[in-house]
Amino acid sequence: MEIVGEQIRGAASAMGEDNGVSPAERRGRQERRTALMLISPGVLWMALFMVLPMIMVVYVSFWTQTTFTVEPKLTTDSWVRFLTSSTYLASTWTTVRIWGIVLLSTLLIGYPVALFIGLMVRNQTLQTALLVICVIPFWTSFLIRVIAWRPMLGTEGAINMILMKLGIIDTPLTSLLFSEFAVLIGMTQIYCVFMVGPITFMLSRIEPSIIEAARDLGAGFGRIFFKIILPLSLPGVIVGAIFVSVMVLGEFATAASLSGRKVNLLGNIIVSQVGSLKWAFASVAGVILTVIIAVVITALLRVVNLRKEM
Amino acid sequence: MLSLSSITKRYGDVTALDRLSVNVPDDSYVSLLGASGSGKTTLLRVIAGFEEPDGGKVIYDGHRLDGVAPHRRGIGFVFQNFALFPHLSVADNVAFGLRYREEGPVTDPSELKARVADAIRLVGLEGLEARKVTAISGGQRQRVALARTLVTEPRFVLLDEPLGALDANLRERMCDELRAIRERLKVTFLHVTGSETEALLMGDVVAVLSAGSIAQVGPASSLFALPKSADVARHLNAYNVLSGRMVNGGFEGAGARFALPGKQAASMVRRSKWRCVSIAFPCTRPVQLPLKPPERRQSARALSQASSRVHRFFPSSGWRTAPCFRSSLT
Repeated sequence: MEIVGEQIRGAASAMGEDNGVSPAERRGRQERRTALMLISPGVLWMALFMVLPMIMVVYVSFWTQTTFTVEPKLTTDSWVRFLTSSTYLASTWTTVRIWGIVLLSTLLIGYPVALFIGLMVRNQTLQTALLVICVIPFWTSFLIRVIAWRPMLGTEGAINMILMKLGIIDTPLTSLLFSEFAVLIGMTQIYCVFMVGPITFMLSRIEPSIIEAARDLGAGFGRIFFKIILPLSLPGVIVGAIFVSVMVLGEFATAASLSGRKVNLLGNIIVSQVGSLKWAFASVAGVILTVIIAVVITALLRVVNLRKEM
Repeated sequence: MLSLSSITKRYGDVTALDRLSVNVPDDSYVSLLGASGSGKTTLLRVIAGFEEPDGGKVIYDGHRLDGVAPHRRGIGFVFQNFALFPHLSVADNVAFGLRYREEGPVTDPSELKARVADAIRLVGLEGLEARKVTAISGGQRQRVALARTLVTEPRFVLLDEPLGALDANLRERMCDELRAIRERLKVTFLHVTGSETEALLMGDVVAVLSAGSIAQVGPASSLFALPKSADVARHLNAYNVLSGRMVNGGFEGAGARFALPGKQAASMVRRSKWRCVSIAFPCTRPVQLPLKPPERRQSARALSQASSRVHRFFPSSGWRTAPCFRSSLT
């Protein structure tokens, strides 16, 4: 070993590279340079198109709003208006409530699907095929997917028609479309797959022999599910929940097209305020929404240490 | 006693177990020797209940086991890859069976703690209770797997190549410990392995599994002295197996012709449909082949080719592999 070391040292000094720098240090510098090169485009992009605009949004939220213009004169008027108006506070609550319900329903519907694809189906080709089937609705645009619910849920829509033909109801249900129910249905369908994907991934990584071992030790299905399968898939649940949360909290299109303007989320408020050139007020709503999302994600990340589990 | 009678298990066109019958006595260490693909793991999975046989019966102390769900069979299984629960600590892994089993779970925390501590002491893992199972070595994981199974006090423990994932040094030590632990607990171990060394060293009784059925069962010594068939002899890795045919009461094969040796060896001769025979010679006493001089050179070459897969047993120094015939011919 020593001989080899000296040979290398000799070779290095012969090439004039040995300025008291150890090979480890030189390697370390090289790696830091590579890392810097890899990360700089991303950092630049995020700084220009995310961090800077977000600082701007916070700044604009304190600007003075007149009917048609917004002036860079600092004031807390917009904030006071938002925080004292029952309409806006109610819509904040609606946003949080719909987020909670959609998160729960995507989890309740998505988990069994993931359980089937990830754990029951052990053929990888079939697994991939089933996941692709889940993604098929995404081959069309987001708005089409939302609007497609109208002919399903409408008074003369498919569901009402079938229920009437079966004789279950006499008059069409009017509460299906243009209600909060429609928004929940639409969002659950659209975002369910973001829950299924990560959970399936985690479940498919569970060794079958681990479940067999649990059975061999005498545990029934319920115990195995709650003590082995669920904890091992929890990182997938958290990642799925983060996907769903971020998308649902920022939603406005589903609510706009399926609720008949009855459900106003923070997203809808931002859209309408921007539409009427109320930039300062839209900024306030934006900041509040960003804070809510940040709190939700932080809370979710607290549940599981993703860096350790993935 | 566990008895299997004409167990058959098929996967599509492949017959993994072919009318396999064997009795495993209580309080004994039985090793099951078989080459890879001989159906060892399938057999264990059928006994444990992870697979149901296509035909035949699994009977334990007069009760049918086949058809019973695996978690109600009371049979322990130590997996080849240990199958520890990666999200639990060593102590929680060991406690799993007691805590969560369907029948008679241990709910008293102090009793649970005591029994887990006992099991951990039995396998010598004191001090590692709080560690995650991902943060211990391979040998320690093996012990956790063993403790996790033994703590539930199964009547019968199946070990699927339990030493396969360990390095040679550790394997030897675990061999002794497994035997000692079994003797202390007085349960039956069925230890499956592909290594004849391990099988003969560990088992009070050795069963040789070949092509989906049991070729021979017996104490290691009797298996060695008199393998029933060339197939068994091949598994024992201590015999030269030659293929040839019977000609005038003599043996002809591998370019050589000779009279069959004594009565003992003759019993190893297995006739097949095409009048071909396999003959197994114990390597301890190399057979002097009565070859005529002109044939000698050619046959020596043929034999040395044939013997490239042949192994030799030195009883005093353990197992060696070496071509066996070269020395006896030249």
